[in-house]
Amino acid sequence: MTELLQQVINGLSLGAIYALIALGYTMVYGVLRFINFAHSDVFMLGAFTAFYSSRAMGRWGFASGGFLGGLLVLVISMAACAAVGILIERLAYRPLRKRSTLTVLITAIGVSLLLQNGGQMVFGVNPKAFPNIFPSQTFKLGGLVINSNQLVVLGVALALLTALHWIVQRTRIGTAMRAVSFNATAASLVGIDTNRIISFTFGLGSALAGAGGVLYGMNYPSIEPLMGNSPGLKAFIAAVLGGIGSLPGAALGGMVLGFVETGVSGTRWSTYRDAVAFAILIGILLFRPAGLLGRNRIEKV
Amino acid sequence: MPSWLNRSQLVLVAALLAAGLAQFFSNHLDSYVLSVAMGVGINIVLASSLNLINGFTGQFSLGHAGFMAVGAYTSAVLTGKLAAQLNPIFGGHVYLLFPFALVVGGLVAAVAGGLVGAPSLRLKGDYLAIVTLGFGEIIKVIFQNVEYVGGAKGLNAIPDYSNLFWVFGTTAITVYTVWALLNSTYGRGFLAVADDEISAEAMGLNTTRYKMVAFVVGAFFAGIAGGLFAHLNNYINPSGFDFNKSIEIVVMVILGGMGRHTGVILSAILLTVLTELLRQFGDYRMVIYSLLLIVLMILRPQGLMVWPFKNPLWFYLKAYWPFRMLARRPTS
Amino acid sequence: MSATGLQLNKVTIRFGGLTAVSEVSATVRPGELAGLIGPNGAGKTTVFNLITGVYSPTEGAIEFAGRAITGLRPFEITARGIARTFQNIRLFGSLTVFDNVRVAFHLHLRQGPGQSLSRGPTFHHEERELTERTRELLEIFKLDRVRDEPARSLPYGDQRRLEIVRALATQPELLLLDEPAAGMNPAEKVELMKLIQFIQERYKLAILLVEHDMKVVMGICQRIHVLEYGRKIAEGTPAQVRENPAVIAAYLGYDPENGPTK
Repeated sequence: MTELLQQVINGLSLGAIYALIALGYTMVYGVLRFINFAHSDVFMLGAFTAFYSSRAMGRWGFASGGFLGGLLVLVISMAACAAVGILIERLAYRPLRKRSTLTVLITAIGVSLLLQNGGQMVFGVNPKAFPNIFPSQTFKLGGLVINSNQLVVLGVALALLTALHWIVQRTRIGTAMRAVSFNATAASLVGIDTNRIISFTFGLGSALAGAGGVLYGMNYPSIEPLMGNSPGLKAFIAAVLGGIGSLPGAALGGMVLGFVETGVSGTRWSTYRDAVAFAILIGILLFRPAGLLGRNRIEKV
Repeated sequence: MPSWLNRSQLVLVAALLAAGLAQFFSNHLDSYVLSVAMGVGINIVLASSLNLINGFTGQFSLGHAGFMAVGAYTSAVLTGKLAAQLNPIFGGHVYLLFPFALVVGGLVAAVAGGLVGAPSLRLKGDYLAIVTLGFGEIIKVIFQNVEYVGGAKGLNAIPDYSNLFWVFGTTAITVYTVWALLNSTYGRGFLAVADDEISAEAMGLNTTRYKMVAFVVGAFFAGIAGGLFAHLNNYINPSGFDFNKSIEIVVMVILGGMGRHTGVILSAILLTVLTELLRQFGDYRMVIYSLLLIVLMILRPQGLMVWPFKNPLWFYLKAYWPFRMLARRPTS
Repeated sequence: MSATGLQLNKVTIRFGGLTAVSEVSATVRPGELAGLIGPNGAGKTTVFNLITGVYSPTEGAIEFAGRAITGLRPFEITARGIARTFQNIRLFGSLTVFDNVRVAFHLHLRQGPGQSLSRGPTFHHEERELTERTRELLEIFKLDRVRDEPARSLPYGDQRRLEIVRALATQPELLLLDEPAAGMNPAEKVELMKLIQFIQERYKLAILLVEHDMKVVMGICQRIHVLEYGRKIAEGTPAQVRENPAVIAAYLGYDPENGPTK
């Protein structure tokens, strides 16, 4: 029983991170109909920004490790990632707006490889120990072991999801986002500046990925330039599982993936956990391509 | 000229003879040059076979390294661990055992291609790419977990059977196969599928079968290339066949111009030789590859090796805002 | 084609909550030149997509030459003898004009991947024969001069014509034309009408035509089916349809200028 509860807690905190990344995939797919391969590397940049900014803050005598300092690091990482996301869209994807999906796909793969390999050159290949940016403490409840970082992850993820929901549903720009995602041409006809909305979407998604990177770093103490690959793919699978284009779907899919992964890790099949994730992806694409909460699209002939 | 051979097949026979001849004189060559030359041949096989799938048939696959791995491991097991059982059958003749191992490796890879293709070819574009990527990774993970083939440590002491004849013989056969497959009324169907699937179906083409043929044939040659690679390097491990390896092949195809025979062969040669020349900048290689991909897609998506070079660079640069300002005609 | 031709039997399709085509029944007899008309969004193209297997009907059955074709894949339906063109031209843009037509002989090929590789005498014989037949088709439809151009570089009118030629190469018994006159000027439309009649007579096939232009439809069709909001509201000869009050109402509510009042 304790074992199960422990797994639930681990699954929740991992799932929350996947959910944050998955939202970015799904939002970008919503407005541009393509899979942003580079998203997982923005996630990596989030972790590295946190690493360097907390070090810089320490040097200026502004000790991170306190709660406020931690929040500041989080905000800096999110802002940096938002900027990177907007920049990527601007430089690499926007010139391709009218081109085939294949061209955009290849470009996205290129951007992803560039960030990874550029990251290896700039940050070095070796894993780095991620600092304690939030005060860290371990609670023991009966047989349960809960790290305060896991609570922070859940808290931050919940707060961000709520904020995102509010932005998308309640603000003007959120409404415009939904309009573009529903029908980009029609949205531009009613006077919505689609390019601005697309930039905003990239910024928003990348900020969430950045936050995901910071939270991931806190729970898995070392970071390296290729760290985005595996969680990125899982998050993508989560987005497809939930129904790509659907925000609640991405959150749900992230949670499911988190639980499945912690579940598999506990068994002797743990080395196959990536394979299991891919098996889920292949299964969902074949049997329910619209995902759990998505809608089927019919191709116009 | 025998009546049952037509011109293209004569070229093939001539190429095979040339490969044999090259092998005959190969001991005059520097062993480094020799290994680079064989690397070129193997990459041509990989790029041409991927071109059949990604270029001619328009099914963007990111799992080619996975099929390569299947062929590499299968053939290495046949010539290594199972050599004791197989050798008596072939009377200890390597020149019989090795091609047998290569072909079996190719066939097993083809079966893997069929198994991967059957479910995933219903998908399109991005989804197909990511699912083939997933399959490639699954294949890698499986090899990592099979102790019989060394797990994550890989297999070593693979006999060095690859030589100029086998490598360039395979290259010639691959190039001929892809060329001949495309240059027929039947083969134009691959291009039709790439252009417009719905319309191809409406013209009576079984698009699923076309995609399967492309996938299986492509995987077959990737498997053989894997076998040649294993018996050239004498060592293989699962992470040598990861996503980056697939990307390397994809870059060759894209640089050469997807769906171009000669362009893709040229770019395979160019990239292999460049990689060797720039070995001291090895760390930058993937950075350069990735930049190349991005810049190509924006400026010249049809590839570099496509003749004629109709459009001057300027035509593309105009798409960017600092240049757009320059390109704007002055209004008076 | 047997005496039965194409039969739609209470065909219905729903997309989510939307019923795009509802209980449509119709018959196209062998050798007949029939028209399918209706205001925008009446479901004409959807009917085409149902016949050719792009969509499967939610309810109802489709028969061709006495055999059910419901639920078959598009290429299987083409193999039964139904070919089509598309409203928004879908040629194989990167292939040459010649190859566009040549590929469409696919159903009648004796060769496969094996023969492409072995390239024996039968292969060469077949290739020569197909080259000849393709050349002949292109000549009849005056496309032989552009045979080596990529299809996407052709002018609009030629592209429309090439789509028809390509469909003919599958050797159909029933040809479905989806708005062939769209985007043509009056002179081109007259040409097109002649062309359609020529095809019907020369190749002895049935044609079902979706068209907005009333002059074209009324001018050449022997029988007309009228759709509105996914339902069939009328059927008959051009004269009968022109007098039908339901049709007049449907069209007056839509576009009086093109309406059937002459």
